[in-house]
Amino acid sequence: MSFLRTLIPFDIIGGLTVTGRYFGKVFFSANRKKIRANLAHFTQEYPEVPVKLQPRFRGRLTLLKDEQGEIKCVCCLACEKICPTQVITIEKGKKEGRKMPFPVRYDFEMERCIFCEFCVESCGFDSIILNHQFELAGYNREDFSLGMDGLGHNMFEPSPVGRHSVAED
Amino acid sequence: MPTMTLTQTLVMGLLQCVAVLILIFVMVPLLTFAERKVIGYIQVRLGATRTAGGLVGITGALNRGMWAMGKLPVLSILRGLPVFIADILKLILKEDIIPAKAERSVFTLAPIISVMAAFGVFSAIAFFPGVLFTFPAKFPIVGGLPFMGFISDVNVGVLYILGLSSVGVYGIVLGAWASNSKYPLLGGLRSAAQIISYEVPLTLSLLTPVVLAGSLNFKDLSIRLSTGADMHWLGAIPLFVGFLVYTTCGFAETNRTPFDLPEAETELVAGFHTEYSGMKFGFFYLAEYTNMIVVSCFASAFFLGGYYLLPFGLQRLIPASVPFLGQPSILFFFLKVFAILFLFLWVRATLPRYRYDQLMDVGWKWLIPLTLVNLFVAGLIRYAF
Ligand code: SF4
Ligand code: SF4
Repeated sequence: MSFLRTLIPFDIIGGLTVTGRYFGKVFFSANRKKIRANLAHFTQEYPEVPVKLQPRFRGRLTLLKDEQGEIKCVCCLACEKICPTQVITIEKGKKEGRKMPFPVRYDFEMERCIFCEFCVESCGFDSIILNHQFELAGYNREDFSLGMDGLGHNMFEPSPVGRHSVAED
Repeated sequence: MPTMTLTQTLVMGLLQCVAVLILIFVMVPLLTFAERKVIGYIQVRLGATRTAGGLVGITGALNRGMWAMGKLPVLSILRGLPVFIADILKLILKEDIIPAKAERSVFTLAPIISVMAAFGVFSAIAFFPGVLFTFPAKFPIVGGLPFMGFISDVNVGVLYILGLSSVGVYGIVLGAWASNSKYPLLGGLRSAAQIISYEVPLTLSLLTPVVLAGSLNFKDLSIRLSTGADMHWLGAIPLFVGFLVYTTCGFAETNRTPFDLPEAETELVAGFHTEYSGMKFGFFYLAEYTNMIVVSCFASAFFLGGYYLLPFGLQRLIPASVPFLGQPSILFFFLKVFAILFLFLWVRATLPRYRYDQLMDVGWKWLIPLTLVNLFVAGLIRYAF
């Protein structure tokens, strides 16, 4: 029996069948005229087509606001303490009509951030996330220091650099 | 056929050689492109899809326009095709380094030997058993002469091809030795051992069609096997077994995965061509792919029915009076060649590399006994019927 098994290469035929099936699938779906949502292959044609990222992708740090447009952060400084590279600097402050403390300054220096998501995990108020932006290259160091103010380049909006990397969440 | 003068013979021979060379130089780059694509598809990727950058960024622009319109780019499968131009340019323009401690003359000679052995084989391969077309009379020297589907019609073509194709291993071994470096040397030694052990079952498996058809002439052999002229229909069984063994040995002979031990990247950097760069490496590359084409031509002609549609002598089911399917055609031949070439890529994307002792096991303990039994069966069939 084992003699026959060695003589007739069943395993090789089985392997060839598997790969052949995948070849057929990709071959017949990759060359359609229209772009379809569920293609058989995993290649993303990045510069031309926006990338579909996995939900857990860790991009740039972003401050969230609640429904009233209030900043959700309450300055507990948990994120500042846990950040392994110490790139978050928060200055506590007060604001009229708000019981909780309010961040007057929330600075984030992206050049040293390692995108570990510890800050997001430590935040008990769900007030920060890492968004889905991965085209974060900049031309000078100032592009990497983000604060609460700054036109089009602050902690609330996605960075203006890449146009393709922000997936619709 | 009109008798030819010496000049006419020379010119025709030259023309046919040039035609075959063009065929090789078209097929090899296309083969590398096909390799990227096929292996990509098998691994659920797309393979090469664009050639971007400075001068040859045409496909990039095309891509972008088509994507903007919400369509897949035209002829999506061919999008990465200009990559092979870039490949050739790279090989030609790259600096050609000869290591200081290398044996200069042998180092230069080795790739040439490889390429010559691979190309020379084509002189006895018949792509079509008859006249492909006749030159119109208005051409100066060759007017009215037939353009044959083969360069020369050697009576012992099979022997010639087997002999010449095993010269190719000298290129590998000499190149490996002349590099004066450990990894190439190991690769070269492995290659020598591998090719010597697989030469035996390869030749023995080729003897099966020779015994069944009783000829050593490439095109006679192919025609007799496929039309089944004086071959019993039982002959299909040893032919089929012979085909499997031949393809396996063909993989080993051309150093393709799963038998690419001479250039095992994980162990030997790049094997025998570690020290080669530029066009010298290009020659080795060319020789490998040309050898693949040679092996495919052989399998196509001797086992898969060659110029006829059906393989293994089944062509007798279709009477010769059927207009297209019953007639020999160069299309059928190349159809089968492409099928085998696809098999090469398919196997490469599927099977992992064999270990060295497994390789020797397969060669000596399985393939050689199998081919001997197969040859015996073929002889019985030939003798009894
Ligand atoms: S992702 Fe990690 S390194 Fe970056 S700010 Fe958050 S805690 Fe710090
Ligand atoms: S952990 Fe959350 S709430 Fe606390 S300071 Fe950081 S962002 Fe603000």
